[in-house]
Amino acid sequence: MPIEKKPAGDGVELFLAGRVDGPMANELEVVILEAIRSGAKTLYLNMAGASFLCSAGLRVLLQYWRQMKSSGKQFYVTNPSPEVDSVLTMTGFREQMVEGAGR
Amino acid sequence: MKLVAEYRLRNDPAESSRIEGWMKTFAEAAQLSPEARNAFDLSLVEWITNVISYTHEDGREHWILVRFLASADQARIVVEDEGREFDPLKLPPVDTNAPLEQRPIGGLGVHMIRRLMDSVEYRRESGRNILTMTRRVR
Repeated sequence: MPIEKKPAGDGVELFLAGRVDGPMANELEVVILEAIRSGAKTLYLNMAGASFLCSAGLRVLLQYWRQMKSSGKQFYVTNPSPEVDSVLTMTGFREQMVEGAGR
Repeated sequence: MKLVAEYRLRNDPAESSRIEGWMKTFAEAAQLSPEARNAFDLSLVEWITNVISYTHEDGREHWILVRFLASADQARIVVEDEGREFDPLKLPPVDTNAPLEQRPIGGLGVHMIRRLMDSVEYRRESGRNILTMTRRVR
């Protein structure tokens, strides 16, 4: 399923749907890099439609969360589906990565 | 526990796409709750990814055997591969409270398998890795 993109403030919102497995993680990385090159200051990863998230997807999330943060930009996961929320909680990503979940 | 299905897949990352279909069959046969289905689905994807990525380093084609079993209240997936020895239970635990800036990239797949399953057993037998993942069906 293709990843949809929409402008959002000074950044880009990406919509993920279906299984975020190895192939989808590779596609996500390409789309994130395009958004960064286009000058996005904030990336919102809307995961309301994602039914599955494996460690290949988590690796991409972690890598670009760090890259954005270290260059003074923002990276958020928004609206995680229950399946995605459970994975983010179990791995300790949720509090720092999901918009509005921080301490 | 009864054997529900048995499949073989090659050590090719593209083969992982077959797992979704297998899980549909397994979930119906074992009457898995949505939570149990997700747990097995994710655990199997993670383990197969590990096997394909780390245990076969000779560049040759290898076969991985996946068996699905079920009883009235438990379900089980057994994965056998002929790659180099890899015991996931020897990996150090992931510190999920550490700041994301300090997190190693690896180890999350095995961490999730251990969290999602009721039991995970590993053994090395006749040059094969055998991983047994068991969980209640509800």
